[in-house]
Amino acid sequence: MLDSYIAAYNDAVFDTDRDEALRVVQRALDDGASPEDIVFRLVVPAMDQMIKAISEDFDANLAQHFMTAQIANEVTESMLRRFTAPPQALGRIVMGTARGDMHSLGKRIVMGCLKAQMVECVDLGVNVAPDRFVDEAVAQRASVIGISAMMSHTARGPDGCLGVRRLLQERGLEHRIRIIVGGAPYRFDPDLYRVVQADAWAEDGITAGKVIAGLLTELPPWP
Amino acid sequence: MAMTALQRLAAAATRRPADRAPIFCNLFDQGARELGMPLREYYSRGAHVAEGQLRLREKFGYDNLWSLFYVGKEAELLGCNRICFADDGPPNVEHFVIDDLDDIASLEVPADITRHPAFEQPAECLRLLRQHAGGTYPICAYITSTMSLPALLMGMERWMSLLLMGPVDARDALLARCHEFFVKEVEAYRAAGADVILYANPFGSTDTVSMKFFLSHALPWIERDLRAIGTDGVVYYCGTSRINRVLDIVLDTVGIRTYYLSPFDSIADAKEIAGGRALTCGVINDARMIDWTEDEVVAEVRRMTDAGMPGGRFLIGTGVMPLAIPEANIRAFVTAARDFGSHDGGAHA
Ligand code: B12
Repeated sequence: MLDSYIAAYNDAVFDTDRDEALRVVQRALDDGASPEDIVFRLVVPAMDQMIKAISEDFDANLAQHFMTAQIANEVTESMLRRFTAPPQALGRIVMGTARGDMHSLGKRIVMGCLKAQMVECVDLGVNVAPDRFVDEAVAQRASVIGISAMMSHTARGPDGCLGVRRLLQERGLEHRIRIIVGGAPYRFDPDLYRVVQADAWAEDGITAGKVIAGLLTELPPWP
Repeated sequence: MAMTALQRLAAAATRRPADRAPIFCNLFDQGARELGMPLREYYSRGAHVAEGQLRLREKFGYDNLWSLFYVGKEAELLGCNRICFADDGPPNVEHFVIDDLDDIASLEVPADITRHPAFEQPAECLRLLRQHAGGTYPICAYITSTMSLPALLMGMERWMSLLLMGPVDARDALLARCHEFFVKEVEAYRAAGADVILYANPFGSTDTVSMKFFLSHALPWIERDLRAIGTDGVVYYCGTSRINRVLDIVLDTVGIRTYYLSPFDSIADAKEIAGGRALTCGVINDARMIDWTEDEVVAEVRRMTDAGMPGGRFLIGTGVMPLAIPEANIRAFVTAARDFGSHDGGAHA
């Protein structure tokens, strides 16, 4: 029933037209869709379609990723308030930019895409030191640490992902917490995530949402 | 054929005979290592940066010199008072001049940039570069375009929101201020002796915005920027985002005659699009030069020159070279570019 809306919704998102996307959502609601339908049968499948398009060589640009995240986040937030039962969270992630890195856009896009997939995100902000990543992950009982870095030195340096890995090792947390990284240096070198000892990376925000959801389902829940 | 680097660049731009293709190797933070000082100290003096630039060029033998310290300098001219320095990478803007939309109205464009304290050291750097290398080596200045400058003043995150979702009057007011600044900045750098203006505009790439948005919003500002400053010595550069899809349009409507590709643009395609009309700059994926062996660097240069050298009008370049690239790989890059970029029977023939 929502298929026709998915296409209209994605057209609006591709056009980076927020107002139109929100109108499509409203039309679907008027047509009898429930808030749960809107999230799980419109917003999420729309993102899946976009991932499929990207993997088939459709070139989504940064503005489109931004808008996908922005709208998914807004719509999900407003629909969640109207859910009949609180949704089951898939898991929790803490997310920040690497030490010395002030570039916050990637983090925002990834977190926006995660919300609709029912992943709880704790935003640690920018310029985050390794011990803060780990301390917060433990305090929040998060299963994934997401680290965004836009420059080679913040991606590869000892105070970035490598520092977080070292702490996870020292504190015996590796069976509980996965690290995912992203940002320009990883796109310029798809093998870099291994060099910095991350568990995974993603090339763009929408794919990141999927990869993280995948990591979360692999991991045992915190006791 | 004995040529200066400046003559070599002019020859490549106009397709006159030359000994080899020009090589732009963009080393910035490496200068501090040359002078044996921390980055913060290095960037505090124009004399250091000039010395660093001259020594690096001398050491590796490429063709360009930079007056750029770090891009955050532009934000300093507009009131940024905190830069985050690292030991192992470029300085970044830490204080955003525009924190909320009300700050746009109070954004002050200096009446005369050349008298602004934040211009003093770059001016000194330019004076020294001119004195030691003026007329011989192209002196490059990096100037952020009108549409990209707000990213430095408020961060990419908030700029993307404002640009795509409005409010439109705040967006337009900010762009108007940035344009005013942009024009003054180019004038100041040209007057101080910059030969090449790297027009830096990630929003001029369809990796950043859609084609529709590019045509309706980005391109009109590019036209305005270039109408104001003219196309002389201007290089179209999108922060190493891809430009092949817009190259034709920019060439036709704006008339810029030099294009700095992304490592992910096909050089052969770019040359076909630019035809005999413009200078194509092929760019190595320098983030990978950190881990590549020397042989891998050479093979990559070979791949680039095979695609770019036929028909001339080609320049071999890098992005912003990370500090972690081993010197041996920088040497391998320049040596291979000199060899394979040679027009008169070098290793390429
Ligand atoms: C826009 C841009 C600028 C703009 C705006 C910068 C700013 N303040 O944000 C301007 C022109 C001002 C600029 C300036 C500089 N820049 Co710049 N810039 C870029 C550019 C084109 C895009 C970067 C960006 O903001 N992307 C936004 C993010 C969100 O996009 P994205 O990477 O596609 O993000 C997706 C994925 O990476 C993923 N993702 C992101 N984070 C995460 C996290 C996780 C966990 C996951 C799973 C996924 C994920 O999802 C995202 C959404 O789809 C890149 C080159 C490029 N093509 O990427 C260079 C680049 C990052 N810049 C670079 C540099 C060096 C600089 C300067 C430091 C230069 C200097 N010496 O001063 C300055 C710094 C300015 C400052 N901040 O003080 C270099 C870095 C080189 C390196 N290897 O370290 C690059 C790579 C260009 C190059 N090749 O030389 N820059």
